[in-house]
Amino acid sequence: MSRVARSRVAFPVMLVLSVCAIATDGFAQGEIEAAEDALRTGRYEEAISLFSDLGRRQPTSARAARGQVHAFAAVGRYADAEESARRYTKANDGSPELWNALGEVLYLRGARDEAADAFGTAIAAEATDALTARLNLAVLRYDRGERAAALAELDGFIDVYNRSRGLSSQELTAVGTAARYLGVEEWRLYKDALRAYDEAIAADPGNLEPRVQVGELFLEKYNSADAAASFADVLEINPNHARGLLGMARRMRFDGEPGALDLARSSLEVNPNLTAARVFLAGLLLELEDYEAALEESQKALELNPASLEALSVLAAIRYLQGDANGFQEARRRALQLNPQYAGFYTTLAELSARNRLYFEAAEFARRAVELDARSWRGYALLGINQLRTGEIADGTRNLEIAFDGDPFDVWTKNTLDLLDSFEEYDETPTDRFVIAIDGRESRLLSLYFAGLAEEAYDRLAALYSFRPQTPVRIEVYRNHADFSVRTVGLVGMGALGVSFGPVVAMDSPSAREVGGFNWGSTLWHELAHTFHLAMTEGRVPRWFSEGLAVFEERRARPGWGDDVTPGFLTAYLQGRLLPVAQLNNGFMRPAYPQQLIHSYYEASLVCEFIEAEAGPQALVDMLTAYRNGMTTPESFQAVLNSGVDDFGDRFFAYLEERFAVPLAAMRPDRETQHGRAPTREEIEEWARDDSGDFAAQLAYGHILFEDGAYEEAVAYLERARTLFPAYAGDGSPYWYLALIHRQNGALEQAADALSTLTGINERDYHANLELADVLEELGDPAGAAAALERTIYIYPYEAASHARLAALYWQTGELDKAIRERQAVVALDPVDRAAALYQLARAYFAAGDTAQARRTVLSALEIAPGFEEAQDLLLEIRARADGGTR
Amino acid sequence: MRAAAALLLAVLLSAAPAAGQQSHLIVVSGLSGEPKYADAFYDWATTLIDAARERWGVPEANIVYLAEKTERDPGRISGRSTRENVERAVRDVAVRAKADDQVFIVLIGHGSTRDDQSRFNLPGPDMSAADFADLLDAFPTQTICFVNAASASGEFIPALSGENRAVITATKTRYERNETIFAAFFVEAYAGEGADVDKDQRVSALEAFNYARREVARAYEADGKLLTEHAVLDDDGDGEGTSEPDPQSMSEGRLAMTLFLTGQTASLLAGEAPSDPRLAALYGERQRLEQQVVELRRRKDEMDPGIYERQLEDLLVELALKTREIRALEEKEQ
Repeated sequence: MSRVARSRVAFPVMLVLSVCAIATDGFAQGEIEAAEDALRTGRYEEAISLFSDLGRRQPTSARAARGQVHAFAAVGRYADAEESARRYTKANDGSPELWNALGEVLYLRGARDEAADAFGTAIAAEATDALTARLNLAVLRYDRGERAAALAELDGFIDVYNRSRGLSSQELTAVGTAARYLGVEEWRLYKDALRAYDEAIAADPGNLEPRVQVGELFLEKYNSADAAASFADVLEINPNHARGLLGMARRMRFDGEPGALDLARSSLEVNPNLTAARVFLAGLLLELEDYEAALEESQKALELNPASLEALSVLAAIRYLQGDANGFQEARRRALQLNPQYAGFYTTLAELSARNRLYFEAAEFARRAVELDARSWRGYALLGINQLRTGEIADGTRNLEIAFDGDPFDVWTKNTLDLLDSFEEYDETPTDRFVIAIDGRESRLLSLYFAGLAEEAYDRLAALYSFRPQTPVRIEVYRNHADFSVRTVGLVGMGALGVSFGPVVAMDSPSAREVGGFNWGSTLWHELAHTFHLAMTEGRVPRWFSEGLAVFEERRARPGWGDDVTPGFLTAYLQGRLLPVAQLNNGFMRPAYPQQLIHSYYEASLVCEFIEAEAGPQALVDMLTAYRNGMTTPESFQAVLNSGVDDFGDRFFAYLEERFAVPLAAMRPDRETQHGRAPTREEIEEWARDDSGDFAAQLAYGHILFEDGAYEEAVAYLERARTLFPAYAGDGSPYWYLALIHRQNGALEQAADALSTLTGINERDYHANLELADVLEELGDPAGAAAALERTIYIYPYEAASHARLAALYWQTGELDKAIRERQAVVALDPVDRAAALYQLARAYFAAGDTAQARRTVLSALEIAPGFEEAQDLLLEIRARADGGTR
Repeated sequence: MRAAAALLLAVLLSAAPAAGQQSHLIVVSGLSGEPKYADAFYDWATTLIDAARERWGVPEANIVYLAEKTERDPGRISGRSTRENVERAVRDVAVRAKADDQVFIVLIGHGSTRDDQSRFNLPGPDMSAADFADLLDAFPTQTICFVNAASASGEFIPALSGENRAVITATKTRYERNETIFAAFFVEAYAGEGADVDKDQRVSALEAFNYARREVARAYEADGKLLTEHAVLDDDGDGEGTSEPDPQSMSEGRLAMTLFLTGQTASLLAGEAPSDPRLAALYGERQRLEQQVVELRRRKDEMDPGIYERQLEDLLVELALKTREIRALEEKEQ
């Protein structure tokens, strides 16, 4: 095991409940082993009973007494555990064997001074578990802020390992934990910790403590797969291991898997007094913006252990997020009094603030963490990440580099630093209120559109909210979705399209997704709306309201933008699976079924619409103000709408029923096919013929007839489907098929109507817009065709032919500024025939009267192709206009 | 650097086809395997042949089209694309071609690797790169443009590389074995618009290569696929291909930029000498100005941007006026 320089650590303290297998005679070996087996495998009541019986029969047996203490502690009966330890110590005056166990229980109950005395007694009297007592005392001292002494003591464990042979599993576990603490000074020691834990497991495969520690260490080092394997090993042996269950819950949260909350609660069912589980639960509930429940859990944790630094940290975060300055200060005072060097207090605040979208605050808390503890690598990482989120790119990078040097296992930091390296390939385009960072390979193209739309959104939203967020706002556009994901959550695999940190918006480039995958324009607008909401409320807007309002703003921005009503949404309503308004936040924070998140977005946007309909547009702004002032959702509804949120929710569902009465009546949520298979053609036909009010059947049979080429017959079913659900313009919508049939029949006006309706609802249908542009051009409507092509740019802007066509249409309509933009787009797409593209751009400039740009551009064309006759003619024309005549 | 510039100018001067110089085109469409490939190979081959004949004036007699199935289009397909027929066709052209003619051989189909040799798949025995290398020995003085648009074709470069030869392959190595789409865009360069980047009313082999390479990359990107074919060109005889030939800064590309599908009966093209002495003089002046633009462009990085732009504009204006003069005279003569 290596020896390295060392000084301090920042682990959440986890004292090792030691299990020493010292033979205690007076009863059969089999009896004590049976009791220990019951304890090890989670049959706690049986273990308590067996140990109690053994203790009565042989009061001098330390092994039985220790087993009893641990069995009581495993189910949270700390008072019984303490009493048991004390009874043994009193009855066996002079025996030091239960002092360490007593110290551990006292420590769990927050009696730190008494625990320290107990550990000291075990060490001084050279109890058989004195080495574990040494570790516990060192950890305790570390936890009290006596770092130098604690680390010196922990460092001694490396010597113990290096000098000793035949260390027991418990002793090796202690060595591993010491190395784990020392790892903050020198990260290579984490590997030594793993080695010691592995040896501890090998020495006694039945000792679950090193397995739990390994799992926790892996998780702290961002290795969820190995952590999961370790916790699974523990739970396979002991399915009732409370810390094993908690570890697995933490792992699930790390991976973003559903179920972490339930598993944490399972651990509390085993041990209702497991402080760490209460703290974890409080943090989860805080992420869910359920402040009251989070507060309750943190208070329970502190009742169990008033000296729990983790519980005080979460309590402080809750108080802070509630706007309770006094409560926050009190929690801070208590925590720092217990340990003046406890950087974890501020890193917890930073993490929870960031999860609640308070990025400036998160950066500030992280800054205090590193001021308090220069080796708080987590503090540096949080500081760096949140500085990046608030637009401080250079400082953020610097702090991430410090974090990475200290903890190279932090995958989030590493991924983000890798991403920052790629920023060298990004171009930054400044506009009046924005800095737009786009990959150099597509920045010339995308900045043509992003800049204008961002500025338009800023002006529009500023007018709506009478508020102007601080500028410049930074917009980062990622060609690679994995990069966007790293920027957002530090890891790949996030499903979202964009995110707003307030002063920084990060989003996918249209090239990051398949054609029709998303509309970048509405996504940008949505995220900029969040930037306004976050700034207006100082980050206090709940997720449901911010998302609903952002979708609502999309809809106000352009016809067709924003989520639309779907059969799935209506079916969910009929099945009672839409959340009441009062619980809508859960649909975002912990969706109960896969589609609930999507349904919640749409539902929340409808809530905003309904608020506006009931109370006027100012009510939405007033809601934001109420949130900024620290009001909860029920308080905001009461204050702004003069209504309880439940009453409002009832009215909202009535509004939904009225608004969607027609399509709701056309849903058949109870229709199920036999054996869960897809329906046959015959079944669909039968349903469609028997039930003319069944939207899905009419549409599906219309599709079948269309595919058969029976267009006339198909029209009847498709028209019926359209009538039953006029707002449906999603995949396979009746509008699309009707348009194709009408066009084939030469009924161009009808085709145009169908396609206009479709594209006026569906923001992503690239092909429908192209089709509409064709039809409108055929009808002699260049302005309409241009509008359709303009919409395609928000979906897929990489087709040079579309830009050239759009330029020609704008030329026809006399919109030369837009024609110029489109010609610029063609050039930005770097066509093979660059000279021709430049020539066309020069023509557009010239037509618009911009002689200087026209001259420069045509020279560029001729520089490539000197013999390009049309360009030569244009050059002479330009010179003639500039000089008043040709040479 | 001066030597390189002089060489480039010499190449540019030689870009004009010599009087009487003709192109010969042999298109070999290989084994298709599936109907969809048979259709694609046929479309690409006939599109190229039609463009060569109708647009670029290559005489019908100078075109040979060998395909997997002759019955598909007996009017255009000269014979089945067996090894024997390919060898015969190449030897026949070698006999017919004049000493300074340009011979285009275009392979469209699938490629494979066997016994560490790249092969072009034909009905019956395949042909390896070495087989084609032997065949090309039949052209001691002619200039060759050999295009293997098949998969696994990269090994054809070292095998066929030589003096007066431009070799183009759809893939960089024999390990790129997925089906290729290079042929689609190479053909499009001759049949469609957009490949004539220097606007001299012709499409050189270099322009066709660049067009196809760029459009292939764009097509893969638009489909969200990883690029599995990396076309390369070698025309300096060093046996190594490059994906981005640049005659201004390297030897690669200088021969290919002088290779055109053309025929004696083609209309008067840029660079060709007219019979009217006044017009001929104007053509000469225009060509001189174009060369000056090329020379100025070469010195761009060493010059003050403002001075460069002024000199460029002066030259281009002069060139434009010269073109106008030529046009006026041509119209008068008509």
